[in-house]
Amino acid sequence: MTITLVKKILADGSPCKKCADVISKLEQANQMQYIDKVIVADERDSNSEGILLAAQLKVNRAPFFVVEHDNREPVVYTVYFKFVKEILDGKTSEAEEIQEIMNDNPDLDYI
Amino acid sequence: MSTELLNVVDLDAKLQQQSPQEILQYAIDQFGLLALSFSGAEDIVLIDMAHKIDPNIEVFCLDTGRLHAETYQFIEQVRKHYNIDIDVLSPNGEAVRNLVQQKGLYSFLEDNHQECCGIRKITPLRNKLLEVDAWITGQRKDQSPGTRASIPVIQDDKAFARPGETLTKFNPLANWSSQQVWDYIRYNDIPYNSLHDQGYVSIGCEPCTRPIGPNQHEREGRWWWEEATKKECGLHSTNIDK
Repeated sequence: MTITLVKKILADGSPCKKCADVISKLEQANQMQYIDKVIVADERDSNSEGILLAAQLKVNRAPFFVVEHDNREPVVYTVYFKFVKEILDGKTSEAEEIQEIMNDNPDLDYI
Repeated sequence: MSTELLNVVDLDAKLQQQSPQEILQYAIDQFGLLALSFSGAEDIVLIDMAHKIDPNIEVFCLDTGRLHAETYQFIEQVRKHYNIDIDVLSPNGEAVRNLVQQKGLYSFLEDNHQECCGIRKITPLRNKLLEVDAWITGQRKDQSPGTRASIPVIQDDKAFARPGETLTKFNPLANWSSQQVWDYIRYNDIPYNSLHDQGYVSIGCEPCTRPIGPNQHEREGRWWWEEATKKECGLHSTNIDK
Protein backbone atom coordinates (compact mmCIF):
# COMPACT_ATOMS: atom_id res chain seq x y z
CA MET A 1 0.00 0.00 0.00
CA THR A 2 1.22 3.48 -0.87
CA ILE A 3 -0.15 6.60 0.78
CA THR A 4 0.27 10.05 -0.71
CA LEU A 5 -0.68 13.25 1.06
CA VAL A 6 -1.44 16.24 -1.13
CA LYS A 7 -1.11 19.58 0.59
CA LYS A 8 -1.91 22.95 -0.87
CA ILE A 9 -0.29 26.33 -1.34
CA LEU A 10 -2.83 29.08 -1.87
CA ALA A 11 -2.85 31.42 -4.84
CA ASP A 12 -1.25 34.16 -2.73
CA GLY A 13 1.65 31.87 -1.84
CA SER A 14 0.58 31.24 1.71
CA PRO A 15 0.35 27.72 3.06
CA CYS A 16 -3.04 26.09 3.52
CA LYS A 17 -4.01 26.31 7.17
CA LYS A 18 -5.91 23.05 7.22
CA CYS A 19 -3.02 21.22 5.54
CA ALA A 20 -0.70 22.40 8.31
CA ASP A 21 -3.23 21.33 10.88
CA VAL A 22 -3.57 17.87 9.36
CA ILE A 23 0.19 17.38 9.19
CA SER A 24 0.52 18.52 12.77
CA LYS A 25 -2.09 15.98 13.85
CA LEU A 26 -0.30 13.21 11.94
CA GLU A 27 2.97 14.14 13.57
CA GLN A 28 1.52 14.29 17.06
CA ALA A 29 0.00 10.84 16.58
CA ASN A 30 3.28 9.55 15.16
CA GLN A 31 1.47 8.68 11.94
CA MET A 32 3.60 10.56 9.43
CA GLN A 33 5.64 7.35 9.18
CA TYR A 34 2.75 5.83 7.22
CA ILE A 35 2.74 8.61 4.64
CA ASP A 36 4.97 7.54 1.76
CA LYS A 37 4.91 10.78 -0.14
CA VAL A 38 3.86 14.39 0.40
CA ILE A 39 3.29 16.44 -2.73
CA VAL A 40 2.20 20.02 -3.25
CA ALA A 41 -0.81 21.37 -5.07
CA ASP A 42 0.32 24.90 -5.77
CA GLU A 43 -2.55 27.07 -6.93
CA ARG A 44 -0.06 29.37 -8.64
CA ASP A 45 1.22 26.56 -10.83
CA SER A 46 -1.28 24.54 -12.84
CA ASN A 47 1.45 22.00 -13.58
CA SER A 48 2.40 21.35 -9.98
CA GLU A 49 2.32 17.69 -9.10
CA GLY A 50 -0.56 18.01 -6.66
CA ILE A 51 -2.73 20.03 -9.03
CA LEU A 52 -2.19 17.47 -11.78
CA LEU A 53 -2.99 14.59 -9.43
CA ALA A 54 -6.12 16.36 -8.20
CA ALA A 55 -7.25 16.84 -11.79
CA GLN A 56 -6.51 13.22 -12.62
CA LEU A 57 -8.44 11.95 -9.61
CA LYS A 58 -11.13 14.61 -9.96
CA VAL A 59 -10.61 15.99 -6.48
CA ASN A 60 -11.55 19.60 -5.84
CA ARG A 61 -10.19 20.22 -2.37
CA ALA A 62 -7.03 19.79 -0.36
CA PRO A 63 -5.55 18.37 1.71
CA PHE A 64 -6.40 14.91 0.53
CA PHE A 65 -4.92 11.44 0.77
CA VAL A 66 -4.49 8.92 -2.03
CA VAL A 67 -4.27 5.28 -0.99
CA GLU A 68 -3.00 2.88 -3.63
CA HIS A 69 -2.95 -0.89 -3.53
CA ASP A 70 -1.47 -3.09 -6.23
CA ASN A 71 -3.81 -3.54 -9.19
CA ARG A 72 -6.59 -1.57 -7.57
CA GLU A 73 -8.05 1.83 -8.26
CA PRO A 74 -6.62 4.50 -5.95
CA VAL A 75 -8.92 5.54 -3.14
CA VAL A 76 -9.16 9.23 -2.27
CA TYR A 77 -9.88 10.56 1.19
CA THR A 78 -10.74 14.21 1.62
CA VAL A 79 -11.79 13.81 5.26
CA TYR A 80 -8.76 13.44 7.51
CA PHE A 81 -10.55 11.67 10.35
CA LYS A 82 -12.14 9.21 7.95
CA PHE A 83 -8.72 8.44 6.50
CA VAL A 84 -7.23 7.90 9.95
CA LYS A 85 -10.04 5.62 11.01
CA GLU A 86 -10.27 3.52 7.86
CA ILE A 87 -6.65 3.32 6.78
CA LEU A 88 -4.50 3.90 9.83
CA ASP A 89 -6.87 2.15 12.20
CA GLY A 90 -6.68 5.16 14.40
CA LYS A 91 -9.08 6.20 17.09
CA THR A 92 -11.19 9.17 16.11
CA SER A 93 -14.26 10.58 17.73
CA GLU A 94 -17.51 10.99 15.87
CA ALA A 95 -17.62 14.63 16.92
CA GLU A 96 -14.20 15.26 15.33
CA GLU A 97 -15.26 13.64 12.08
CA ILE A 98 -18.54 15.53 11.94
CA GLN A 99 -16.81 18.83 12.73
CA GLU A 100 -14.36 18.32 9.88
CA ILE A 101 -17.11 17.38 7.45
CA MET A 102 -19.07 20.50 8.35
CA ASN A 103 -16.05 22.76 8.09
CA ASP A 104 -15.26 21.42 4.64
CA ASN A 105 -18.83 21.37 3.38
CA PRO A 106 -20.57 24.60 4.37
CA ASP A 107 -23.32 23.78 1.87
CA LEU A 108 -24.57 21.20 4.40
CA ASP A 109 -26.06 24.12 6.31
CA TYR A 110 -28.94 23.99 3.88
CA ILE A 111 -29.75 20.30 4.10
CA MET B 1 -25.29 0.05 -12.26
CA SER B 2 -22.06 0.12 -10.34
CA THR B 3 -21.44 3.55 -8.95
CA GLU B 4 -17.74 2.95 -9.43
CA LEU B 5 -18.29 3.30 -13.15
CA LEU B 6 -19.67 6.80 -12.85
CA ASN B 7 -17.45 9.59 -14.01
CA VAL B 8 -19.23 12.28 -12.07
CA VAL B 9 -17.26 15.18 -13.48
CA ASP B 10 -18.15 14.36 -17.06
CA LEU B 11 -21.69 13.54 -16.06
CA ASP B 12 -21.99 16.83 -14.24
CA ALA B 13 -21.07 18.74 -17.37
CA LYS B 14 -23.87 16.94 -19.18
CA LEU B 15 -26.48 17.14 -16.41
CA GLN B 16 -25.80 20.84 -15.82
CA GLN B 17 -27.69 21.46 -19.06
CA GLN B 18 -30.72 19.44 -18.02
CA SER B 19 -33.85 20.27 -16.10
CA PRO B 20 -34.36 19.17 -12.48
CA GLN B 21 -36.91 16.64 -13.71
CA GLU B 22 -34.43 15.14 -16.16
CA ILE B 23 -31.78 14.97 -13.46
CA LEU B 24 -34.21 13.24 -11.11
CA GLN B 25 -35.19 10.83 -13.86
CA TYR B 26 -31.54 9.97 -14.37
CA ALA B 27 -30.96 9.44 -10.64
CA ILE B 28 -34.03 7.26 -10.24
CA ASP B 29 -33.12 5.20 -13.31
CA GLN B 30 -29.56 4.63 -12.19
CA PHE B 31 -29.91 3.95 -8.48
CA GLY B 32 -32.15 1.54 -6.62
CA LEU B 33 -30.91 2.55 -3.18
CA LEU B 34 -31.75 6.21 -3.51
CA ALA B 35 -33.23 8.63 -0.97
CA LEU B 36 -34.43 12.20 -1.16
CA SER B 37 -33.63 14.60 1.67
CA PHE B 38 -36.54 16.90 2.52
CA SER B 39 -36.03 19.86 4.85
CA GLY B 40 -39.65 20.82 5.22
CA ALA B 41 -39.24 23.97 3.17
CA GLU B 42 -39.22 24.91 -0.51
CA ASP B 43 -37.47 21.68 -1.47
CA ILE B 44 -41.03 20.38 -1.59
CA VAL B 45 -40.65 20.91 -5.33
CA LEU B 46 -38.28 17.94 -5.44
CA ILE B 47 -40.83 15.67 -3.82
CA ASP B 48 -43.44 16.84 -6.29
CA MET B 49 -41.16 16.22 -9.25
CA ALA B 50 -39.79 12.90 -8.01
CA HIS B 51 -43.20 11.60 -7.00
CA LYS B 52 -44.42 12.08 -10.56
CA ILE B 53 -41.55 9.91 -11.79
CA ASP B 54 -41.59 7.32 -9.01
CA PRO B 55 -44.45 7.40 -6.48
CA ASN B 56 -42.40 5.12 -4.24
CA ILE B 57 -39.42 7.44 -4.00
CA GLU B 58 -37.83 7.19 -0.56
CA VAL B 59 -37.97 10.47 1.37
CA PHE B 60 -36.32 11.28 4.65
CA CYS B 61 -36.37 14.31 6.89
CA LEU B 62 -33.96 15.40 9.62
CA ASP B 63 -35.97 16.22 12.71
CA THR B 64 -33.55 18.14 14.87
CA GLY B 65 -36.08 18.49 17.67
CA ARG B 66 -35.93 22.28 17.28
CA LEU B 67 -38.04 22.82 14.17
CA HIS B 68 -40.97 25.22 14.06
CA ALA B 69 -44.43 23.81 14.77
CA GLU B 70 -45.35 24.96 11.26
CA THR B 71 -42.60 22.78 9.80
CA TYR B 72 -43.79 19.69 11.64
CA GLN B 73 -47.32 20.41 10.44
CA PHE B 74 -46.04 20.84 6.91
CA ILE B 75 -44.14 17.54 6.95
CA GLU B 76 -47.35 15.83 8.00
CA GLN B 77 -49.28 17.67 5.31
CA VAL B 78 -46.80 16.48 2.70
CA ARG B 79 -47.02 12.92 3.92
CA LYS B 80 -50.77 12.94 3.43
CA HIS B 81 -50.85 15.01 0.24
CA TYR B 82 -48.55 12.64 -1.63
CA ASN B 83 -49.49 9.52 0.34
CA ILE B 84 -45.82 8.76 0.92
CA ASP B 85 -43.77 7.46 3.79
CA ILE B 86 -41.35 10.01 5.18
CA ASP B 87 -38.53 8.63 7.29
CA VAL B 88 -38.28 11.24 10.05
CA LEU B 89 -34.84 10.89 11.61
CA SER B 90 -34.15 11.93 15.19
CA PRO B 91 -30.78 12.77 16.74
CA ASN B 92 -29.12 10.48 19.25
CA GLY B 93 -30.81 11.23 22.55
CA GLU B 94 -27.71 10.67 24.63
CA ALA B 95 -25.66 13.06 22.49
CA VAL B 96 -28.31 15.77 22.75
CA ARG B 97 -28.57 15.23 26.48
CA ASN B 98 -24.83 15.59 26.94
CA LEU B 99 -24.72 18.75 24.86
CA VAL B 100 -27.57 20.35 26.76
CA GLN B 101 -26.20 19.32 30.14
CA GLN B 102 -22.77 20.72 29.33
CA LYS B 103 -23.68 23.83 27.38
CA GLY B 104 -27.38 24.48 27.78
CA LEU B 105 -30.13 24.78 25.20
CA TYR B 106 -28.67 27.73 23.29
CA SER B 107 -24.97 26.91 23.06
CA PHE B 108 -24.98 27.90 19.38
CA LEU B 109 -25.45 31.54 20.35
CA GLU B 110 -22.16 31.54 22.25
CA ASP B 111 -20.07 29.09 20.20
CA ASN B 112 -21.41 28.62 16.70
CA HIS B 113 -24.09 26.49 15.17
CA GLN B 114 -21.82 23.67 14.07
CA GLU B 115 -21.69 21.58 17.24
CA CYS B 116 -25.44 21.61 17.66
CA CYS B 117 -26.05 21.00 13.93
CA GLY B 118 -23.46 18.22 14.04
CA ILE B 119 -25.36 16.36 16.73
CA ARG B 120 -28.91 17.13 15.68
CA LYS B 121 -28.58 17.04 11.92
CA ILE B 122 -25.33 15.85 10.40
CA THR B 123 -24.78 12.71 12.51
CA PRO B 124 -28.29 11.39 11.79
CA LEU B 125 -27.76 12.30 8.14
CA ARG B 126 -24.53 10.34 8.02
CA ASN B 127 -26.17 7.32 9.60
CA LYS B 128 -28.99 7.47 7.09
CA LEU B 129 -26.64 7.75 4.14
CA LEU B 130 -24.93 4.51 5.13
CA GLU B 131 -28.13 2.82 3.87
CA VAL B 132 -28.10 4.21 0.33
CA ASP B 133 -25.97 4.42 -2.81
CA ALA B 134 -27.20 7.86 -3.81
CA TRP B 135 -29.10 10.78 -2.33
CA ILE B 136 -30.87 13.87 -3.55
CA THR B 137 -30.86 17.33 -1.98
CA GLY B 138 -32.54 20.64 -2.72
CA GLN B 139 -29.31 22.63 -2.48
CA ARG B 140 -29.01 25.58 -4.83
CA LYS B 141 -26.15 27.80 -5.84
CA ASP B 142 -28.08 30.95 -5.02
CA GLN B 143 -28.46 29.93 -1.37
CA SER B 144 -24.87 30.82 -0.61
CA PRO B 145 -23.61 34.38 -0.90
CA GLY B 146 -20.01 33.21 -1.29
CA THR B 147 -18.53 33.71 -4.71
CA ARG B 148 -16.71 30.39 -4.38
CA ALA B 149 -19.95 28.50 -4.05
CA SER B 150 -20.26 26.00 -6.86
CA ILE B 151 -22.64 23.20 -6.23
CA PRO B 152 -22.49 20.54 -8.92
CA VAL B 153 -25.58 18.75 -10.12
CA ILE B 154 -23.98 15.38 -9.43
CA GLN B 155 -21.02 14.72 -7.19
CA ASP B 156 -19.02 11.93 -5.67
CA ASP B 157 -19.81 12.30 -1.98
CA LYS B 158 -16.59 11.22 -0.33
CA ALA B 159 -17.55 12.55 3.10
CA PHE B 160 -20.51 10.26 3.68
CA ALA B 161 -19.65 7.20 1.60
CA ARG B 162 -19.48 3.81 3.28
CA PRO B 163 -15.91 2.60 3.78
CA GLY B 164 -14.52 1.35 0.49
CA GLU B 165 -17.65 2.27 -1.44
CA THR B 166 -19.02 5.25 -3.28
CA LEU B 167 -21.98 7.51 -2.63
CA THR B 168 -23.43 9.76 -5.30
CA LYS B 169 -25.12 13.03 -4.44
CA PHE B 170 -27.56 14.79 -6.74
CA ASN B 171 -28.48 18.46 -6.46
CA PRO B 172 -31.14 18.80 -9.18
CA LEU B 173 -32.02 22.37 -8.17
CA ALA B 174 -28.41 23.58 -8.18
CA ASN B 175 -29.00 25.89 -11.12
CA TRP B 176 -32.47 27.02 -10.20
CA SER B 177 -33.12 30.36 -8.56
CA SER B 178 -35.48 30.93 -5.67
CA GLN B 179 -37.78 32.60 -8.21
CA GLN B 180 -37.92 29.45 -10.34
CA VAL B 181 -38.66 27.32 -7.29
CA TRP B 182 -41.56 29.56 -6.32
CA ASP B 183 -42.86 29.78 -9.87
CA TYR B 184 -43.00 25.97 -9.83
CA ILE B 185 -44.77 25.87 -6.46
CA ARG B 186 -47.40 28.38 -7.55
CA TYR B 187 -47.89 27.07 -11.06
CA ASN B 188 -48.39 23.52 -9.81
CA ASP B 189 -50.35 24.63 -6.75
CA ILE B 190 -48.41 22.38 -4.40
CA PRO B 191 -48.41 22.76 -0.62
CA TYR B 192 -45.72 24.85 1.07
CA ASN B 193 -44.60 25.69 4.59
CA SER B 194 -46.80 28.46 5.98
CA LEU B 195 -43.71 30.14 7.46
CA HIS B 196 -42.94 31.40 3.97
CA ASP B 197 -46.04 33.61 4.20
CA GLN B 198 -44.56 35.16 7.35
CA GLY B 199 -41.36 36.35 5.69
CA TYR B 200 -39.21 33.28 6.21
CA VAL B 201 -37.21 32.41 3.11
CA SER B 202 -34.69 29.82 4.27
CA ILE B 203 -36.14 27.62 6.98
CA GLY B 204 -34.15 25.62 9.50
CA CYS B 205 -34.42 25.22 13.26
CA GLU B 206 -36.64 27.68 15.14
CA PRO B 207 -33.93 29.39 17.21
CA CYS B 208 -31.63 29.80 14.21
CA THR B 209 -34.12 31.05 11.63
CA ARG B 210 -35.75 34.44 11.28
CA PRO B 211 -37.77 36.27 8.65
CA ILE B 212 -35.87 38.63 6.39
CA GLY B 213 -36.72 41.95 4.85
CA PRO B 214 -36.69 43.18 1.25
CA ASN B 215 -33.39 42.72 -0.56
CA GLN B 216 -31.80 40.75 2.25
CA HIS B 217 -30.09 37.56 1.18
CA GLU B 218 -31.75 34.44 2.54
CA ARG B 219 -28.51 33.57 4.35
CA GLU B 220 -29.23 36.58 6.58
CA GLY B 221 -32.17 34.69 7.96
CA ARG B 222 -29.97 31.91 9.31
CA TRP B 223 -27.29 32.16 12.07
CA TRP B 224 -27.26 35.94 11.66
CA TRP B 225 -25.12 36.41 14.75
CA GLU B 226 -22.19 34.60 13.17
CA GLU B 227 -19.70 36.15 10.85
CA ALA B 228 -19.18 34.43 7.57
CA THR B 229 -15.99 32.42 7.76
CA LYS B 230 -13.68 31.86 4.87
CA LYS B 231 -13.53 28.37 3.51
CA GLU B 232 -10.16 27.74 2.00
CA CYS B 233 -10.16 24.02 1.41
CA GLY B 234 -11.23 24.14 -2.23
CA LEU B 235 -8.69 23.86 -4.98
CA HIS B 236 -9.11 26.70 -7.42
CA SER B 237 -11.20 25.31 -10.22
CA THR B 238 -9.39 27.10 -13.01
CA ASN B 239 -6.26 25.26 -12.04
CA ILE B 240 -8.01 21.92 -11.77
CA ASP B 241 -9.63 22.28 -15.16
CA LYS B 242 -6.34 22.87 -16.92
